[in-house]
Amino acid sequence: MAKETLTETIAVAEAASIEPQAKQTTSGRLFMWVADNGIFVFTALLVLFAVIFVDGFASLVNITDVFHRAAPIGIVAVGMTFVVISGNYLDLSVVAQVATSAVIFIAVSNVYGIPLAMLAALVAAVLYGLANGIAVGFFKANAVIVTLSTTYIGLGLLRYFSGGSIFFGPQDGPIREFGLGKLGPVPYSAVVLLIMTILLSILLTRTNFGFLVRSFGVNEKATRLSGTNTGLVIIGAFIVTAIAAMIAGFVLAAFSNTAVSAMSDGYDFRALAAIIVGGTSVFGGKGSVFRTLLGVIFVSVLTNVLVLSQISFGYQQVALGALIVLAVSVDAVARKVSKR
Amino acid sequence: MRNTRIALGAASMFAIAGFTLAGCAAAEPAATDAATEEATTTEEAAGGETYEVYALLPQGNDQPYGTTYLPPMEAKAAELGINLTITNSEYDADKQASECEVAVAAQPDGIILWPAVADAIRPCLEAANAAGIPVWITNADVNPEDTDLTYGYSGTDSYGQGAASAEMMCELADGAEIGVIQVNGLTGNSVATLRGNGFKETVAANCPNVSILAEQPGNWNKDDSQVAASEMLTAVGEENVQGIYAADDTMVAGAIDAAKARGMDVDALFITSIGNTFLGNPLVASGELDGTVFQSSSWDGENAVVGIYRAMTGDTAQGRDDDGSVLYMPNPKVTIDNWDSPDVAPEW
Amino acid sequence: MTETMQLGKAGPQGFFGRLRTVVARRTEGRGVALLAVILVTVAFVEPLVLTAYPVSLGRIALIGIVALGLTAVILMGELDLSVASTLALSGVIMASIPDLRLGVLAALATGLVVGAINAFFVAVIGINSFIATLGMLFALRGLAFVISDEAPVSLANKDAGIAFGLPLIGPLTPRVLIFILVFIAIQVFVSRVKAGREFFAVGGNRQAAYDAGIPVKRRILTGFLISGFVSSLAGVINTLERTTADPTAGSTVLLASFAAAIIGGNYLKGGRGSIVGTLIGATSLGILQVALTLSGVQVPVQEIFIGAILLIAVTTDPASIRAVVGGIRQATRGRAKTETA
Repeated sequence: MAKETLTETIAVAEAASIEPQAKQTTSGRLFMWVADNGIFVFTALLVLFAVIFVDGFASLVNITDVFHRAAPIGIVAVGMTFVVISGNYLDLSVVAQVATSAVIFIAVSNVYGIPLAMLAALVAAVLYGLANGIAVGFFKANAVIVTLSTTYIGLGLLRYFSGGSIFFGPQDGPIREFGLGKLGPVPYSAVVLLIMTILLSILLTRTNFGFLVRSFGVNEKATRLSGTNTGLVIIGAFIVTAIAAMIAGFVLAAFSNTAVSAMSDGYDFRALAAIIVGGTSVFGGKGSVFRTLLGVIFVSVLTNVLVLSQISFGYQQVALGALIVLAVSVDAVARKVSKR
Repeated sequence: MRNTRIALGAASMFAIAGFTLAGCAAAEPAATDAATEEATTTEEAAGGETYEVYALLPQGNDQPYGTTYLPPMEAKAAELGINLTITNSEYDADKQASECEVAVAAQPDGIILWPAVADAIRPCLEAANAAGIPVWITNADVNPEDTDLTYGYSGTDSYGQGAASAEMMCELADGAEIGVIQVNGLTGNSVATLRGNGFKETVAANCPNVSILAEQPGNWNKDDSQVAASEMLTAVGEENVQGIYAADDTMVAGAIDAAKARGMDVDALFITSIGNTFLGNPLVASGELDGTVFQSSSWDGENAVVGIYRAMTGDTAQGRDDDGSVLYMPNPKVTIDNWDSPDVAPEW
Repeated sequence: MTETMQLGKAGPQGFFGRLRTVVARRTEGRGVALLAVILVTVAFVEPLVLTAYPVSLGRIALIGIVALGLTAVILMGELDLSVASTLALSGVIMASIPDLRLGVLAALATGLVVGAINAFFVAVIGINSFIATLGMLFALRGLAFVISDEAPVSLANKDAGIAFGLPLIGPLTPRVLIFILVFIAIQVFVSRVKAGREFFAVGGNRQAAYDAGIPVKRRILTGFLISGFVSSLAGVINTLERTTADPTAGSTVLLASFAAAIIGGNYLKGGRGSIVGTLIGATSLGILQVALTLSGVQVPVQEIFIGAILLIAVTTDPASIRAVVGGIRQATRGRAKTETA
């Protein structure tokens, strides 16, 4: 019962803020298609360019490297998509969450074994998710500041207890095997990324919870009026992000067989860039987990191509920033042209 | 009306929260001081005096080196009757400058300074001078034209470390024409820049037969370094690379993993780095890492305190003319011949 | 007093009544409360923060200058993440030019150019300012590294730089004086100049602003120009005081400025807030940071403290408390409802 009336409310709310539809001419529809699917086109073009013009890109070793680049950031990004789609901008605390998870994983498993380590990391992740979710969902506080403050608290706690030291995993054992293992050219970490993308996509599109996350992003007021407990929905979104960050921490720790608090630097903005390049709107409502995966692949391939081309770090950042803006611009311009 | 009431209610909740926190804050220094008793127990040291010293550092518990630099420093301070106030500017020169202003305003007996960016530190030195506070430099030295403003220096020579690593590479190459890939630290970081330049320039001067084919940042991270090294190997072609240099052991471990993952013969490669850390030393023992340079965080931390103590007690004057006012940390090379010597036991 | 027809309950009468309405409508309440608590606490625990006020003012100005420019953009419902990189790039450009005055002009021009580019992407192309300025954050940082060759660039005229760091009027350094001037300028613009007042309308309801005939695109351009200019100004000040330009500068300032603006009561979605609020937020953060440094508490504990204060500050304003109470009421009512349905 609740779901039907909710759908109606959303439809009514959406009608109120409707944009003019694309013209139903062939060119109008074509531009609209480009706008909606620009990222697929861009990524495909980029990969094609790389295969043809960049020496060594198409080798098995390099494909593995691209996956290694994509996996940890990608896992964080597909989880964080939930927060972005719910209209809450982003979760800055993923930096602290990934580092905490990696350190707990290695430090605890060295002494108490892997299952207990994963449990401890899970507890930490749920705490992060609850802290963020309650502040943003129930106290209606601004997500940027809340997640900034949990980052400070989280990193402070991590450094206080672990002392910022670097922890090492054992030379043999399941962690090392996971980190080194591959299915063909695809490392296990990328397999985890793919599985998570599928699972999270199902969560977002086929469950009531996912539906509520999306409708919260589309129209906050309507979702609240419909009587659902929106606070729980937001807590859920932040917990999903936290668990994704936890898994990313495991994967990162396994890959390097070390853990240190500085290892997750920059994960917040890099994950966000991937999410938005993929086409998810920063205002919430529109987007999907598969699009985020595509955004991650785009950014990873791009960075890989730049390094293979022996471009210095400064120019790499210029190219990255410029191409992110270009990709989104094409989307926006195509959208505008389709409506003329 | 309701709005005002709510605003007043919130303000009073705030006041309560604030005073509670104030209570905690007042108790916290005492509590943390008690907890980290090495840090601030003031004992009757020589002369029975206690000194207030500010330590302006650009890293601390956020990095492995800093984490092992602090405890020896705090222990030495406790031994000499010094009350340390420690800051961490995370290599942000503007933040360190602000912390310097705060330190000068607090009028301590001495300042231990580890410059985040040596080029930017002169204003801080001049302010401390004007206030009559002695300054001892640690780990990373100031520019030559600014040394007169300090009482002394104890620490590493990052450029020299890069040079030492290059000398080892030259020795390994032994005149042959080889190609090398270079993994640098965090872009723009002063240690990264100095070590990188030290390596490059020494190779160019001493063994031009060694060519550096590619250079990318590894960001002091093992995982970033592994991916960067592998991509560089793809870019220049594995068959053209006979050597790998990384600015620290953590990154070289990543580069070694990259080579192994590609099935390269790591023992045949000439691999050098810097640090002789817990991660690097076993690699030297196993023969994968051919040479590294030992860096002692405990020497560094302790001598910073010893130095400022000497400055405060008048044992050394401003201007670095006295004996022992410049102490360079020894840069011993660590190879398979001496990896287990207690002189170079890993510390971080 | 002319008779006006009132719909609903009559508003509060009398001077105090109207004062109460005005105060309730202002957004700075939370910021003021936080600042009051911090000031009182600091007065007891660490009075040096207040007696050595030039130092505290300097720290406040460090975040404050950028935060003020940022607020101009936030009021319109947009974001400018590129401020950190603009700061660094301007500094690098200034130090790369041997002539000091020319260097300063070039740096300030850089800020204006960056602002114009941001505004172009947001207003003309129509992409979201979050992603546009995020891309610029990456790109400009890269440009700073390229121009500086990844290392600090020293000023040719170091003495001018050191002189700049000395007190100018009384105990106040040029940085603090410029901060005060920037505050006055932007505050006057936003509250008394028509174009500035329209920023609120652009942020509050973009469509209604268009319909009301406000040149929205031009206002967006002005906002980003202000933000870019102020960031480059901050870069110039930092470079002069340090006598060197660091291409890695600015990373801590970015999120601190956002925190200052939001604690001061500015809404990220735009339309509500004030420049005064940002000033109050920056003051709170600056004093808090200086006090923590002086306290000698371990650095990780300082971080936890700042995080906790931020979290408490942002979850205990009137709107949040109303929300929590409402949520609890709804939960209990909702349960009763499902029983009868």
